[in-house]
Amino acid sequence: MCDIIWCKKEKNGKPCDTINYLDPYFFWNWEGTISCAECGTVYFIHMIQGFMYIGPEERPGEKADIMPLYADKPYEGYANYQPGVEGRTRPYQCKPRKELLGVADMVKFSIRGRPVRGWRPQPPSAGLAGSFGFHWDIQKLAPEVWEQYQQKLAKGEVKDW
Amino acid sequence: MAKDPRVTRIEELPGPKSKGEMEEFKMPYEEYCKKLFDVGNEHTKPTALKGIKWLSCTMYIFTPHAVANLAELGAEVIKIEMPRMGDAMRHTSPFNECYLYPLHDTRPMTGTGLGFTNANVNKYFITMDYHVPEMVDVFYGLVKKYDGLTELYRPGTFDKWKMSYRYLSEINPRFIYVWGGGFGYGPKIFGGSYDILGQAHAGLASITGMHEFMGGHCTKQTNWVIDWQSGNLITASVMAAIHHRRKTGLGTMIEFSQVQVPTRMSGYSFPLYGKFGVVRQRWGNWDTQLAAHGIILCGKSDFPDAENPQDKFCARYAMVSAFQDADFKELCAITGMKTLYEKYKAHNQRAEGEAQVEIYGALEKWAADKSRSEVCKILNDAGLLAEPVRNDREAYESPHYRERGTIRWLDDPLFGDMVLHAGYSSGLLEKTPRRINWHWRPVGADNKKVYRDMLGVPLTKIKEWYDKAYI
Repeated sequence: MCDIIWCKKEKNGKPCDTINYLDPYFFWNWEGTISCAECGTVYFIHMIQGFMYIGPEERPGEKADIMPLYADKPYEGYANYQPGVEGRTRPYQCKPRKELLGVADMVKFSIRGRPVRGWRPQPPSAGLAGSFGFHWDIQKLAPEVWEQYQQKLAKGEVKDW
Repeated sequence: MAKDPRVTRIEELPGPKSKGEMEEFKMPYEEYCKKLFDVGNEHTKPTALKGIKWLSCTMYIFTPHAVANLAELGAEVIKIEMPRMGDAMRHTSPFNECYLYPLHDTRPMTGTGLGFTNANVNKYFITMDYHVPEMVDVFYGLVKKYDGLTELYRPGTFDKWKMSYRYLSEINPRFIYVWGGGFGYGPKIFGGSYDILGQAHAGLASITGMHEFMGGHCTKQTNWVIDWQSGNLITASVMAAIHHRRKTGLGTMIEFSQVQVPTRMSGYSFPLYGKFGVVRQRWGNWDTQLAAHGIILCGKSDFPDAENPQDKFCARYAMVSAFQDADFKELCAITGMKTLYEKYKAHNQRAEGEAQVEIYGALEKWAADKSRSEVCKILNDAGLLAEPVRNDREAYESPHYRERGTIRWLDDPLFGDMVLHAGYSSGLLEKTPRRINWHWRPVGADNKKVYRDMLGVPLTKIKEWYDKAYI
């Protein structure tokens, strides 16, 4: 699993509270410095076989060897830095197509025209501790998609395959 | 004379009147199979593993797939994940673009990637932080009620946490414990593994792909075949362990190194080396024993105007098989390779490396002005075996897979309309078929069901754990 550095450095009178996600493959055996994506504080870590042997320790004045892969701020609605944000998160060179640099593709219907539940944001669950029921009533929870589905049905755009 | 109603006359009964007629009355085998397996109505039949209860402390593909096999066959499986994050595989969507939301009720803007599909069907999902002593006690509570567990942490990690087989078998002697991971005990005990590492480590990649002098390289299969196959083999071991437990009443431990699996998939490579000292070479799309029996490149795409590059450029490959003498003669006659037939009349001559280079070269030259389907039609019409190399879309549209239910649509209770394949790709069972109820559920979706309904933990306590991120 990916390790993190939770930056709590005070900046402008309040803690930074940014979670910097480290790349699990890269960090299995690794020693060096990483900067926080939000405030730029430099931390030193020494990881052996995926175990954080030393750190994270602040190293003021040092230059960071690398940047985190991804970072987000849970107390601010999960505002985040996606991979490849210049000066914040690590660039990655193997992005295969320019289309992939945008936001995730959101579809509301499958290729045969029936509704899928794949978009965001989702309405929060009603349950306790992350509990979800076993049936998602599209008519109740996404009436606009239900309406679109009815139109598709009427136009004969819903197929079996 | 009036008929005596008490006498049964065979000629008046419905049905066959003789053994020969009975044979004629039997439904054709095709119809018989359709009725027997009744594809699409799996849920009307019982499941084979009903009553087996399993814990899944797994991530990625390999170990989750081992447990998904049990869940498809009817076992009740709980997958335990890290609180609020879940399995790393949830975050490993293909090209980082295919997500289904939400991941968790606190993270509405994060989704689970499609890479998670097929390895986690029918499981219940709970969360637990094993580092908290209070939660380890809860874990022991589950162990008492369950038949087995599959985990993939680094060797000795669960032992360090007092959650390994030697501790759990004291709590539940019938417990079956599976460790599945990279190398297992031995010289590389701490070595982690990935599918590609397994394919490389065991030499499987060295015998896959075309030879370098033909422009090829050692090749890994694009999909994680070792992961999927390792999962299947663990399931086979679990079935044996369950059978052993029925006889002895005792559980057992299974230690499964992923990098062993590609050695099993290498066929005769190791015996060949052992006997003759010959290190097997790769031979790519051709066959070392049979010729012609390989995949050739045709000149034209079947879908030159398609937008998708896989259709537009790659719909050009065809599998051709004509290795028997008569078939090879026919192949040479159709394709105008008469001199080649004279040269390589005997099979052992054709199977030589140089001969194969010449034969496939001539075949591809013949196919240079034809499309893949034209090549297949010409050869099929001549009674030879030829088949286009299909892509995923074509497999989806194939009537064969559709009729047998291998690829089908599921109205997932949470995620709606999804196409699926893996659960129905493992053969058909007449009385206790495999089935898919749901693809997966969000992180911690069944916390309440398991902790409250199964273990009797009060909701206030669950809330407290949740607020402390213990679950």
